[in-house]
Amino acid sequence: MILSIHSTLRKAITWALVAALLLSCCGGAFASAGAEEPITIKFWNSFTGADGDQLVELVDRFNQSNAYGITVEMDISSSFSDQLTSALAAGTGPALVLMSNAMRYQFDGYLQDVSDVFAKTGLDQADFIQSYLDYCKDGEAMYLVPFQIVGFYLFWNKDLFTAAGLDPEKAPATWAEYETFAAKLTDASKNVYGSGLCYNYAYQLAHVIQRFGGLAVTQQDGKWQANLAGNAGYAKFLTSFKKMLDEGTNPLEADTDPMMTAGQIAMTVSGPWITGGLDTAGINYGIALLPQDDAGVMNSVEVLGFGVPTVATDAEKQAAYRFIQWWNTEDAQGSSPALEWALKNGFPAYTYSVQAKESYQSSEKLRITSSADPKAPTNFFVDSRFPDTGSMLMDVLAPMVQSIVFDNTDVNAALEAAQKTADGIVAGFNQ
Amino acid sequence: MTPVRRLLTYLNPPSRSAYFFVAPSILLLLAFNLTPLIASFGLSLSSASMTLDRISFVGLEQFVRILSDARFLNSLKVTAILTLLEVPLQAFGAMVIGAMVANNSFWNKTLRAVYFLPIICSATVIGIMWRMILHSNVGFVTYALSLMGLGKINFLNSAQTTIFVVSFLSLWRSFGVSAIIYVTAVQQVNPSLYEAAQLDGAGRIRQFLNVTAPSIRPTFWFILMTRFAGSLQIFDIIYVTTGGGPNFTTESTVAYVYARAFASGGDMGYASAMSMVLFAFIMLVTVLLYRRMIRED
Repeated sequence: MILSIHSTLRKAITWALVAALLLSCCGGAFASAGAEEPITIKFWNSFTGADGDQLVELVDRFNQSNAYGITVEMDISSSFSDQLTSALAAGTGPALVLMSNAMRYQFDGYLQDVSDVFAKTGLDQADFIQSYLDYCKDGEAMYLVPFQIVGFYLFWNKDLFTAAGLDPEKAPATWAEYETFAAKLTDASKNVYGSGLCYNYAYQLAHVIQRFGGLAVTQQDGKWQANLAGNAGYAKFLTSFKKMLDEGTNPLEADTDPMMTAGQIAMTVSGPWITGGLDTAGINYGIALLPQDDAGVMNSVEVLGFGVPTVATDAEKQAAYRFIQWWNTEDAQGSSPALEWALKNGFPAYTYSVQAKESYQSSEKLRITSSADPKAPTNFFVDSRFPDTGSMLMDVLAPMVQSIVFDNTDVNAALEAAQKTADGIVAGFNQ
Repeated sequence: MTPVRRLLTYLNPPSRSAYFFVAPSILLLLAFNLTPLIASFGLSLSSASMTLDRISFVGLEQFVRILSDARFLNSLKVTAILTLLEVPLQAFGAMVIGAMVANNSFWNKTLRAVYFLPIICSATVIGIMWRMILHSNVGFVTYALSLMGLGKINFLNSAQTTIFVVSFLSLWRSFGVSAIIYVTAVQQVNPSLYEAAQLDGAGRIRQFLNVTAPSIRPTFWFILMTRFAGSLQIFDIIYVTTGGGPNFTTESTVAYVYARAFASGGDMGYASAMSMVLFAFIMLVTVLLYRRMIRED
């Protein structure tokens, strides 16, 4: 009798241990679907364009199909940043947000560490391109899970290349070549400009200028340091840009995308969003990675990611993770929301598995925009850990370029003035 | 008598019930005007991040900072230029137009609707529309002017002329409201005054100068006051058309306040200090114009 009880007890303990082992081996710490309480989480972002419609569709699909009783209530707003600021300051807000890595510093202290997302969802961390994950990290902590990679690329009008006697299949390989091509492609009689850089588009200019002179802010001995005054690479770009404006090979414009769409610009630097207009207008165009220059190989992109604000409870965070997991998980047909998103919007994927998909590889656009060296550092204009990219772009780069363009300020004097402003910004983070 | 009945009896005299009726407005003003104003003043004496989680008292330091900020002084200059370009044109131009379309004929009603149309459009739509229309290379107006032999005019990218374009857009957008207010005022003018003027042989211009204009002087001062206050706060049109460029030549004070508070840095303390300076200036102008309006009335 006693033996029998012991035997039953042993069996029960053994089964309990096996069950516990199985659960922990399932790759996630989540309880089974049935054990989670139904929950509604708020999801805020600023995808107000056509991509927002697709996001709505995908969120609806998640709400209808997830087995955990999770309802994601999405709020898309053009004033997302202001809205989030007010909410967080008042101690409320969403459980899930989409924001850029540069923007996350505005909400320093208001985002939870999400580095446990892989352990808790079973998503394969090795599948994520490491440099993009690094971009979202601060030490060991990770504050965003990649959602979209926003890079700038070289777009060129093949018909205008042919008309100018250039090989329509060959984009300029260097910036020196870009300048030479711009001169050849310009045809004042037809109102055609070779180059389409905008004097006030800080994001566009930043992608280019860092190819010449590297990052505007780096860390030396634990201190932030601005690198503008005496930066030969920056001086080289600024001189070249001014020359193109003076010679009329680049228009004095704040917005050249409509001109590219109208076939009046032969080469420009822009993001995948321009392709919609180019396709609609029937422009025969090519895409290439931006040419590198003296600063060496780099992959300057901005990573947009899922973030979980500190106001989210553990249960809400878990529900947010479920959504992120679903976003990156393949269905029976081998598709995933992440793949659908990339195919529809033309932004390169951040996982190797999505990039390897046949449908992805069959898109020339995606193939090219994903061809950057994944090991190249992902920094955009400043060291990705520097907390104030926005000020460096809007208060340093933009005024510097415009003082040269409109006030004819000497390039070196403009760099000196920019250094002074940048020193003030940087000093605030060295205290 | 029940307590409710007693309360209603107490509130019944007009001198008391008036408070009851204005209470909602006062509560709204307190919640959405006075409280933010006091909060903003408090912030202007502090160093505060965007999410207000790091606040430290700095006294008048932010106001001292303002004095040596060339970009702020430039924004004041831009705001002053925009105001001086727009407000007189609006106050006088809308008066003339308002008087011309005051009669309730079909065409006048149609014209009033046309003048009013920009008001119901969002600033974003207006901004994008005008940016396309005035684009120096693909814009309709630029193209039409070049066909007339005027060359390619770079309306939105000139450090010399873009401020005039912004001023025009702001004027175009708010002109309808002023015109409609004038129409209402003109319609209130006693018709016998016009009859008397006609008997004296006054033509339409003389009637306008000697009858209409003097009769609607309070409205003129009201328009002047509201447009001054509005123009000194110009922001949305700038934000969607030029972004304050080129080279800050169209960056108004509010646009700069926005830039400091939200676009970069998130320096709420400094942005609030600038707002307080602008508020003081608007208050001064408004009070002066209000006193004049009351006197005219």
